[in-house]
Amino acid sequence: MSFREKSTWVMTAVMLLSGLFYMMSALPYPGSPVMETVVPYVLLVIVLSVAGQVVLAIRSPDEARAPLDERERLVVDRAGYWGGVILAAAIVLAGIAYVVAPNGNMLFHHAVLALIVAQIAQYIMQIALLRRAL
Amino acid sequence: MSKRPPITNRVKELREANGGLSQAALGEAVGVTRQTIIAIEQGRYSPSLETSFRIARLFGVGLEDVFGWEGD
Repeated sequence: MSFREKSTWVMTAVMLLSGLFYMMSALPYPGSPVMETVVPYVLLVIVLSVAGQVVLAIRSPDEARAPLDERERLVVDRAGYWGGVILAAAIVLAGIAYVVAPNGNMLFHHAVLALIVAQIAQYIMQIALLRRAL
Repeated sequence: MSKRPPITNRVKELREANGGLSQAALGEAVGVTRQTIIAIEQGRYSPSLETSFRIARLFGVGLEDVFGWEGD
């Protein structure tokens, strides 16, 4: 498994775990102030991401320093495109939900969840493309 | 995206003919990862023109000695 794939697996796990944490924090009180949910979530993402990437870099320092090669760049671009499409669709859904139930805090939570879902989808697509060549 | 490119190559053959150069060493020499060399050898990825030239020059052969069109 390439370093890039390992790194993407780590980020997928981070986004899944932190997304679960966010949902568990936000779902019981969907209309409550957002900062109490978002700040711990952002801190958790930062800590887990940095810790995961540091561990990977210590285990394979040469690979960690190497820039993306031409195939990996294509994979990242293609997965990024589809991640953007998913994000746009999810944000539209969040907007529709706001029209149905106009609550600004809920709109914010939906937008954050859209970001999380799109990011996870992007990472999963990256892994699939890295494994299939392109 | 999943369609296999119609380009054949002799990278593995040339690697073995050149003292069994490893995929990692070839990748390092031409500026790509070992996984990209594997994908090229298996015909799952067509390298850029620049990488194709780098591979051909490393083995001291012409581009068409390394890459070909399927069916030709």
